[in-house]
Amino acid sequence: MDVSLVRVDNRLIHGQILEAWIPFIKASCIVVADDDVATDFFRESVIKMAVPSDIEVVVNSVEEFSKNHSYNEKNGGKTIVLFCDVRDALKAYKFGFRFEKLNIGNVHSEEGRKCCTPTVYLCESDIEGLQFLIDSGVNVEFRCVPGDKPVDFRDLIEEHMLP
Amino acid sequence: MMVGVLVITHGNLGYELIRSAELIKGRLGSILAISVDPTKGVEELKKEITAGIKKVDKGKGVLIMTDLFGGTPSNLSLSFLKEGKLEVVTGVNLPMLLKLPDIREEKDLTDLAYTIKDYGRRNISLAGEILNKKVDSK
Repeated sequence: MDVSLVRVDNRLIHGQILEAWIPFIKASCIVVADDDVATDFFRESVIKMAVPSDIEVVVNSVEEFSKNHSYNEKNGGKTIVLFCDVRDALKAYKFGFRFEKLNIGNVHSEEGRKCCTPTVYLCESDIEGLQFLIDSGVNVEFRCVPGDKPVDFRDLIEEHMLP
Repeated sequence: MMVGVLVITHGNLGYELIRSAELIKGRLGSILAISVDPTKGVEELKKEITAGIKKVDKGKGVLIMTDLFGGTPSNLSLSFLKEGKLEVVTGVNLPMLLKLPDIREEKDLTDLAYTIKDYGRRNISLAGEILNKKVDSK
């Protein structure tokens, strides 16, 4: 698989993915790396039914996905990888899944939320996690749908979060 | 007594569909719209849906109509599925809402859900195709 988009979205597969990102990327594969979905047959089935049948859907736990290195061979079709929160994206990175760019779509941290954009609320540990990824050379952008103007995490931090 | 209805959609589509249907047909009754916008969290939306179900349920169960299978309104609604008590139909359109009042009292929830699904599908047409058929058959 050729990973074209790595995204944090607490809604995983939903309208924006199906109607905006899949056609934009021309993706032929979607990976949902999520421990809950990987053990929930109902949710897994719903996801597989929602995605057009010509697109492959892979549902894996975060660990299982990150340790399977098929994403390093850049020969397959364009692929979208989804995590439900920053914590999982970070976990995958630490397990060995490397990406150059992380897209943040929808995040609603329940505790200690800090509003970054209308659809992104981060807690302290999310911000630390993103900072770690940036220090490791990952570009972090906030963008809901392809047509939106991407906002760089570093600009946002400067604007809103510096004490 | 009739089946309660919730129209759950991306943005205000549900409100407007109900308003348009009521323009044509008059008050629909026991129907509520819930709009899903990206600034609402999942838990907040689930609470809103739970409250909506309570409001429209008159004892014959609730039909949730959503706009897009796989979208957030549908994904959330599916977690409320309960045979005989709650059904979810996706791809809501105006003809479906207009049909509701005609059959809501006589049919039970499951029957209503099947009928509305078929009715919604049947009422999508390509005008040119219909005209061509008429010309051909003459």
